[in-house]
Amino acid sequence: MREFEYVRAGEVGQAVATVTADPDASYLAGGTTQIDLMKDGVLEPDRLVDITRLPLAGVARDGDVLRVGALTTMEELAADPTVTVRLPFLREALLLGASVQLRNMATIGGNLLQRTRCRYFRDPTVPACNKRHRGSGCAAVRGVARMHAILGASEHCIAVHASDMAVPLVALHAVVHLRGTGGERSVPLTEFYRVPGDTPDVENVLTHGELITAVDIPLLPPDAHSTYLKIRDRVSYEFALTSAAVALRFDGGVIGEAHVALGGVGTIPWHAPEAERALRGLPPSLEVFTAAAEAAVRDPFTVEGTAFKVELVKRTLVRALRTAAGGAS
Amino acid sequence: MTIVEQLDLVGEGVDRVDGPLKVTGAAHYPNDFSFPDLAHAALVRSTVAAGRISRLDTSAAQASPGVLAVITHQNAPSLGRASDTVILSAPPPPLQGDRILHYGQYVAVVVAGTAEEATAAARRVEAEYEATEPLLDLHDPRAEVLTDPFELDSSRGDAGAALASAEVTFEATYTTVDNTNNPLGLFTTVAAWDGEALTVHDSTQWPDALRTALAQVFGVPESGVRVLVPFVGGGFGAGLRVWPHVMLAALAARTVGRPVKLVLTRPEMFTGVGHRTATEQRIKIGATRDGRLVAIDHESTTTLQMEGDNFEPCASGTAYAYACPNVSTRDRQVRLNVTWCNSMRAPGEAQGNFALESAMDELSYELGIDPLELRLRNYAESQPQLGLPWSSKALRECYEVGAERFGWSRRLPEPRSMRDGDWLIGYGLAGVSFFWFQKPCEATATLRRDGTALVRSAVTDIGTGTYTVMAQLSAELLGLDLPRVTFELGDTDLPPGVVAGGSGLTAGLGSAIHAACRNLVQAFLDTVRDDPTSPLAGCAVDEVSIGRGRLHRTGSPERGEAYTDILVAHGLTELSAHGASTPADSREVGLAPAGPFGAKFVEVRVDPDLGLLRVARVVSVIDAGRILNEKTATSQIIGGTVGGIGMAMFEETVTDPGSGRIANATFGDYLIPVNADIPDIQVSFVGRPDRFNPVGVKGVGEIGLVGMGAAIANAVHHATGRRIRSLPITIDKLF
Repeated sequence: MREFEYVRAGEVGQAVATVTADPDASYLAGGTTQIDLMKDGVLEPDRLVDITRLPLAGVARDGDVLRVGALTTMEELAADPTVTVRLPFLREALLLGASVQLRNMATIGGNLLQRTRCRYFRDPTVPACNKRHRGSGCAAVRGVARMHAILGASEHCIAVHASDMAVPLVALHAVVHLRGTGGERSVPLTEFYRVPGDTPDVENVLTHGELITAVDIPLLPPDAHSTYLKIRDRVSYEFALTSAAVALRFDGGVIGEAHVALGGVGTIPWHAPEAERALRGLPPSLEVFTAAAEAAVRDPFTVEGTAFKVELVKRTLVRALRTAAGGAS
Repeated sequence: MTIVEQLDLVGEGVDRVDGPLKVTGAAHYPNDFSFPDLAHAALVRSTVAAGRISRLDTSAAQASPGVLAVITHQNAPSLGRASDTVILSAPPPPLQGDRILHYGQYVAVVVAGTAEEATAAARRVEAEYEATEPLLDLHDPRAEVLTDPFELDSSRGDAGAALASAEVTFEATYTTVDNTNNPLGLFTTVAAWDGEALTVHDSTQWPDALRTALAQVFGVPESGVRVLVPFVGGGFGAGLRVWPHVMLAALAARTVGRPVKLVLTRPEMFTGVGHRTATEQRIKIGATRDGRLVAIDHESTTTLQMEGDNFEPCASGTAYAYACPNVSTRDRQVRLNVTWCNSMRAPGEAQGNFALESAMDELSYELGIDPLELRLRNYAESQPQLGLPWSSKALRECYEVGAERFGWSRRLPEPRSMRDGDWLIGYGLAGVSFFWFQKPCEATATLRRDGTALVRSAVTDIGTGTYTVMAQLSAELLGLDLPRVTFELGDTDLPPGVVAGGSGLTAGLGSAIHAACRNLVQAFLDTVRDDPTSPLAGCAVDEVSIGRGRLHRTGSPERGEAYTDILVAHGLTELSAHGASTPADSREVGLAPAGPFGAKFVEVRVDPDLGLLRVARVVSVIDAGRILNEKTATSQIIGGTVGGIGMAMFEETVTDPGSGRIANATFGDYLIPVNADIPDIQVSFVGRPDRFNPVGVKGVGEIGLVGMGAAIANAVHHATGRRIRSLPITIDKLF
């Protein structure tokens, strides 16, 4: 057997110090992705620091911000009454992800850091994967790529960031709180993820050992209308081919506030500020929505298997905008 | 022999007799078996699809904790080759050379004290390959093409000439992709040697073939090989062959001198136990303006692994599906560096029916005739190839009852004419004429002095309900209450049983049990023949009736005797009888043997902007002859329908085009329907007992799946006006 050390952390600072000091250590929270990847031989940590007993779970409201502890489970967050009322599209995204069994284990912090479903990444017998071994190439670009990214993608990597939850969170400009050995810092989620470029192995701004402790989620205005539309082949238990998180607030007859992000198509959860700009100040119409969708999907990188997503994601966004706007009337 | 009092036993929705065992975890599946001193095996698979092994370093694996042996082609003994079976012969034995013919081919087996140790050590086997370019494309001109591999190609009339002169012709090409069987139970072999004797627990659908094959592979007497499979966690055809991993488990046990268990991983289930092949089928149809078929030409090409056989006749069923004077059907196979091709629920039929019933639907639009009416106008009243009456056929009733239950008359003929908000509504149907398949089978029946009966045959129950329906049938044939009858299976020490495949088990086994029970009644009559005190003395088997554990002269219920009284009176503890069945000869009986028939009606909803497709409801009407147990038979049709929805909308085994690697070998990536994808499924049975076997049954194991591909594709066309000729029908094809 491949042996590894299991440590249960009793205190946050100690956990951070332990992982930071050991380049082969990693955190273990819900484990719903990590354990699979260890079984498959993709991840081979020598030490797992179990943080599930740390006091990092729970949801608290502070004015118009919801502070969500990193160890809150997906199911707990979905059931939160404030989320239900003030962040309905986040609730939808949570409940459309995974299965209830997984959602009861998976944590918010872990969800943000979930690894890609790219089957070339997940099979260590495939030699070419820049995400596993920088510079080794990308087998997916020449392989079977359907569940892959078209935005933020390149010949170096087309692996999709598969989180549903992160899509409304980037649309909302959520803020991630981090704890390192040097102290705490906060990073807007829109600046947290790294587009792969030629270093697909670097997925975010975390330094080794830095721990997500909480996420601050700004609430939507009470009169906003939001939706999360997830398009996939089967009705349940599948990652998105395309998805769109949309929140609109109307100001007189025009769109006053717009939050737009796309899922299933980006190497990172894809915030679409261009689409937001294309919506703001205009009355809702199919033309405006279509223009926003065009603005959101600029310069896609496609391969044979992903080319259909360019049009599908635009239609997904238009439909989500229609639904959100329809909810306004 | 007539059966008067127990008729109510058969047909009723009797609960599964093995249900309590299954829901309490007391049913022993292959991986529930263990031995003291059990060792565990793990496999090493090739990561290339063609070439040869250039270097194999097992030193790290050998040194890994708990390792007992690492077996590769460099140290494996020479193994024998199993002789060919009627279909689906065993692959050649593994580890006999350095050639690689497909991705996932076994290059080593590691044996260790625990499964974890074996798995960890298997990862330490270092293999390097001299890879060559694999042949993976059906159209690769370098690939060998086999013509008429099943010797089922057929020709009547002159299809070419009839097509050339037909008033209306239609031609199209249909494709389907590779699917993987995916039984829930991971295939497991537990092998234990005692000298030359070998005991094997295995996830097989055919214990006798496994026994014979293992005896040949290891050069030991067949009489010493015993295969046990009281329960198996599904098969869908995956358990029809004797797979290399089964041979490796036995080899591992022999090598380390301990019993060995080998459980395949889910990814190994995608490369090691076969798959339904991709197909490309071209159909040409000629018809008169008023919708009479004058010609059908159906050519199918399927893939085939580099060595060995596979039974996948897609075109041949077209020859008897409709009354048409000029028909030509041809099947071809193309050898590629793909994993083993194998039967998966309704081999050939599943894909062939998709092509034929899609083409019939397309023709109906060309002609402006209702798709149901077109099928009825070309109804084959007799078997068109043999020119004989069917042994049973109620396909017309299937159509009529189905149309009524479904509400087919509410369908507006024009595509895209039915809508509900963003959703377009479509109705589609397919007719099914499933093949007939029956093979010889044997059984014994024993009645003991306590009035209980034990009926036995070395078959398997892969979840279909064999335990239950055969107990019901035996109880009826012996005139006993159901709780007094036990049917025992899954052990090669029992009389040779038929394969659980081809929807042929119930007819073959049922007929053998029919014979055994009749012979057992005869044995009781023989016992009392010369007994002047018995009211049955001198009675012939056709002169008695049975019921409530008692035989009596037909018409004189008082002139009879209980089985138990006869045994006591003659100092016997039990009486046993053997029964064997062989399929009848169609010329002799003047009947064409019929498989089951069916009609599938489907309503779909399509969101054309987003390419979303949902099946809203399915009505299946099936003629499967006599239904032994309506409850388990209905479950079979529902399960088949779900499998058909999977094939039509979701399932695709993806092969990486460069490497031949299976790229989606998990349940997260290979999509099978989840509950939320499955709508209301209604099932009805029509028809009368079949005349080709004494029990009157036809199989229900596969027909539920067949027709779903075409019915859904036809409904999609009706909803959207778009004809999808390739399965699965996914979002990218629809939006």
